[in-house]
Amino acid sequence: MTNLTSRRGLLFGAAAVSAGAVLTGCTSNDPDDGEDKAADTQPAADDKPGKPVTIGYAGPQADHGWLNAVNDQAQKRAEKYSEVTLEVTEGSNDTAQQIGQIETLINKKVDVLVVLPADGKALTQVGLKAMRAGIPVINLDRIFNSPQAYRCWVGGDNYGMGLNAAHYIGEKLKDKPDARVIELAGIDNLELTQQRTQGFDDGLKNYPNIKKVARQAAEFTVESGQAKMAQLLQAQSNFDALWNHDDDQGVGALRAIEQAGRDDFLMVGGAGALSAFQAIKADSGVLKATVLYPPTMAASAIDLARALGQGKGISGLAEFEIPSTVTCYSAVVDKENVDQYMSTGFK
Amino acid sequence: MTQHVSPPRDGTGKTAPVDGPPAWRVQLGRADVRTLTLLGVLAALVLIGGITQPDAFLDTRNLQLVLTQASVIGVVTVGMTFVIVSGGIDLSVGAIVALASVWATTVATQEYGFVGILFTAVVVGVGCGLVNGVLIAFGQMVPFIATLAMLASARGLALQITDGRTQVVTVPSVLDLGERDAYILGIPPLVLVFAAVTVIGWLVLNRTTFGRRTVAVGGNAEAARLAGIDVRRQRLYLYLLSGLCCGIAAFLLIVLAGSGQNTNGNLYELDAIAAAIIGGTLLTGGRGHILGSVLGVLIFTTITNIFALNNLQTDVQQIAKGAIIVAAVLVQRRTASTH
Amino acid sequence: MAPEPPLLSMSGITKSFPGVRALDGVDLDVQAGEVHCLLGQNGAGKSTLIKVLAGAHQPDTGTIRWRGEEVTLRSPIAAMRLGIATIYQELDLVEDLSVAENVHLGHEPTAAGFVVRGRAAKASTAQLLKRLGHPEVDPGRLVGELPAAQQQIVSMARALSHDVRLIVMDEPSAALDPDEVDNLFRIVADLTAEGVAVVYISHRLEEIRRIGDRVTVLKDGRAVAGGLPAESTPTREVVALMTGRNVEYVFPERPAGTPEGDPVLSVRGLAREGEFAPLDLEIRPGEIVGLAGLVGSGRSEILETVYGARKASAGQILVDGTPLRPGSVRAAVRAGLGLAPEERKAQALLMLESVTRNVSVSAMSRFSRGGWIDRGAELGAARAATRELSLRPDNPSAPVRTLSGGNQQKAVLARWLLRGCKVLLLDEPTRGVDVGARAELYAVVRRLADEGLAVLLVSSEVPEVLGLADRVLVLREGRVVHEAPARELDEHRVLDLVMEGSPAS
Repeated sequence: MTNLTSRRGLLFGAAAVSAGAVLTGCTSNDPDDGEDKAADTQPAADDKPGKPVTIGYAGPQADHGWLNAVNDQAQKRAEKYSEVTLEVTEGSNDTAQQIGQIETLINKKVDVLVVLPADGKALTQVGLKAMRAGIPVINLDRIFNSPQAYRCWVGGDNYGMGLNAAHYIGEKLKDKPDARVIELAGIDNLELTQQRTQGFDDGLKNYPNIKKVARQAAEFTVESGQAKMAQLLQAQSNFDALWNHDDDQGVGALRAIEQAGRDDFLMVGGAGALSAFQAIKADSGVLKATVLYPPTMAASAIDLARALGQGKGISGLAEFEIPSTVTCYSAVVDKENVDQYMSTGFK
Repeated sequence: MTQHVSPPRDGTGKTAPVDGPPAWRVQLGRADVRTLTLLGVLAALVLIGGITQPDAFLDTRNLQLVLTQASVIGVVTVGMTFVIVSGGIDLSVGAIVALASVWATTVATQEYGFVGILFTAVVVGVGCGLVNGVLIAFGQMVPFIATLAMLASARGLALQITDGRTQVVTVPSVLDLGERDAYILGIPPLVLVFAAVTVIGWLVLNRTTFGRRTVAVGGNAEAARLAGIDVRRQRLYLYLLSGLCCGIAAFLLIVLAGSGQNTNGNLYELDAIAAAIIGGTLLTGGRGHILGSVLGVLIFTTITNIFALNNLQTDVQQIAKGAIIVAAVLVQRRTASTH
Repeated sequence: MAPEPPLLSMSGITKSFPGVRALDGVDLDVQAGEVHCLLGQNGAGKSTLIKVLAGAHQPDTGTIRWRGEEVTLRSPIAAMRLGIATIYQELDLVEDLSVAENVHLGHEPTAAGFVVRGRAAKASTAQLLKRLGHPEVDPGRLVGELPAAQQQIVSMARALSHDVRLIVMDEPSAALDPDEVDNLFRIVADLTAEGVAVVYISHRLEEIRRIGDRVTVLKDGRAVAGGLPAESTPTREVVALMTGRNVEYVFPERPAGTPEGDPVLSVRGLAREGEFAPLDLEIRPGEIVGLAGLVGSGRSEILETVYGARKASAGQILVDGTPLRPGSVRAAVRAGLGLAPEERKAQALLMLESVTRNVSVSAMSRFSRGGWIDRGAELGAARAATRELSLRPDNPSAPVRTLSGGNQQKAVLARWLLRGCKVLLLDEPTRGVDVGARAELYAVVRRLADEGLAVLLVSSEVPEVLGLADRVLVLREGRVVHEAPARELDEHRVLDLVMEGSPAS
């Protein structure tokens, strides 16, 4: 990646490296996507009705806004296709229960399985079982232990989130000497938090004028976001930009910023909550952009499942088969393109 | 020993040898040592904070920040202290705070404005406390189990209400209380509530029959029963009280964070227990100190503050917190064993 | 006996706990191959003595000689190494381990130092069980699944798994039926035949006569008789030693004439299934009524049932003619009853608290308004009550745990004095009270009665009941076998009644 010099080249380069394939169904940062604003109206691999496909869908309990949006995206996408029947299990965080649900779907002989495991490692066996039974598995987001347990993995790019947040901030601050940046991270003992921070740090290395002066970890909750942000604001009397890993804790962070009466910096969020989109669109506060961890990946998973069930590839790619991994791009949503993403924002 | 005649009104009964200073001084002295130890720890922390971050730490804004952040868990800890003094435990405080905070911030509740939110938070808290109390006092359930069950169900119900979504508060009068320049009597409202709960808690524990009964039940439940105290009713009231404190804390949290979320109050139970223990409250019951508990909360909050100001990460903060708990308990064991 | 020194010789053993002297210069000699019985009432010091012997307590003073050499039993392991094994009344077995695992707990046969050789353990356990006459106990079974009698066999097998020279058995027959007791005695006989000494503790005098060689009687932490021949000492003498006085007290004068007025406490047909038979009892103001009986006669149960701490299966309790709600301590206290229970520390005192708070706990409404305590009034009232009872030290703020046993008892009495109770229930009022302080307590109780209190007194010490009470009910096996004014009874008569159930005329 030595040729990454310009911002555009850098963004696309990162996308090419991190994604096995760039799908139109998966959210992209390309403004030429045109008039299609919502995920559920974006062009799919093949819009015409084909042979009937039954897709089994097993997700975790929706205890977080993002997971709620993922389940919604999958169901709405399936409704778009008259020939697709979606068998949805009741979301569960209990590994044993989810295994049981998936086994039921296997026994029902669904054509394709889409699984967002409560725990990727723990559900590997049941993924293998489905694959052996001849039912291809689309593994969503939390990855199984073994590539043999899925036909295709679709997920987000945590490292890319950090990277893109850093690039966005870097471009905004590139003319400012000795710029200071702080980071409000998520739960520290999650691997994804480490990946986001790593991406952010790596991205900032491209901007020698910027220094990360502070980092605190919150817990993806409003309460912790408020508490940690309040301390960060007290510690750093001046800084130029803030990256917050998660829009949910961002609600608390914004509350702390408001309580401290600060508006002398720009803030970039993470994940893509509706409230963040609305704030970005209104452009009335410090929040200027957010980096996606797109819930539309579930819609894409349905598209892939359908293509798989019908034995087709994806339009726009030369391959006869669908890809084996699809890493969704962590697009930066700012005032310019927020309208396009508004409908994907989760509460 | 031969004949031993004892005139009726002359007490010549042997007294056990009492070594050292008179008993009252021993007792008073121990209370002082405990408070002084905690104040000493706090002073040391202030010193560390002042040296490492003279500008950011030694600042009225920061004092306000620390006290405000201590308010929510502080109110919970006062309730928890009562429960622990009575020989019980309430593991459900964090979950009750979460449930009360989301119930009080649903769209339907917010239509009733400030009063609706406050009322709902308090009623939900007291309601959960009532369930805990009935299960423990009349269902003969062990507090650990009963409140563990409440922890699970209250969190579940909170999730069901929110669907995992963050409920943002739109009632201005509620949000205003948490603003930077909101003062009542020159004190931030949250801090004022915290102070009031502390003072009332202290008075109730130390100056009322309710407090005495609490101590008696915790010190020796059988003796309390045989002395004519209604032990079961007292237990019921204590879990109600803890629930009430959770309801108040939930309202403070709503004001502070401007929202309700099912993940609120995460691990409050452990923080509150830890603060009470380092404050000198016996986990086995029978002795407790509201002031010590509050100092415990302030110590923890100050540590978090100093660590954040110095940009130290979560791992280091957690290690330090564990070390402080161990150190405080060891110091107190040493001072307590000198009777 | 033989010129060689006794196997075990304890002399001048004292042991104090806060507030009470549990052992006060006890001597005990045990010869190899003998069954030495240890007798005494609850609280006489037996369990403290055997804990000293087992290395679980360290004596304050005194010496222990083992085969003539002075030893220090620093820990239970040290005692075990010498060959002293103890079988406690509450068996200290791990229920979720097998018989063999329990027997070898702490000294498992191992290979390579840490791998437990389960089969070897089972084999040696089976051998021990056979030696104890119980080959039917399966070494592989969980101890928790065994009946009490077999658990005791396991406990004994554990003792024998060491090279044991002395076995202490704490009331081993308590949980056994007669057949099992016979087997126990056979085992004891076998052991002594091999030269092992047995220290045998029991309440049952007939057992002692059957297997004992010598008897030592403990009372108030002292050995009041040492090494009496078990067969030839008359039962009455033994009982008198247990229940009598090693010090003569002067009891307070009884008032002239019989108490007048209506009974303040009336008990009609009160009974508890399996504990005591229907009982009728009336006490008038100023009267002290005593219940005399041995352990298991139902005396404490009666007291606690009257107080509402246990629920009666039949009968009625009236205070001033008004029936009490059954099974409610609160109702009893409201009606004017007060209990000074047998286990003061466990049942009455708040050990972490001051004297004042212990005294005021039952009468808080007297100096509080709207739940708010007037601490000045509280202190004043507590001070007045404790002064009236001459509680020492005269410092209401003293932690109650620093008080002597007698003064702790006074704190309990002061509680009821302050409450203004009408009927005082005293359960073993001088248990754990230093001998010197007892006369004073008696005087206090009599004075309270003179001031109009009705007192129901339970004591296992016959002279105490006879000396303090006006009227005495003698209990045997949950039944009143005799009732008479105290002055018409003497100790021998009561002992006969207690043991035989009918006056030995």
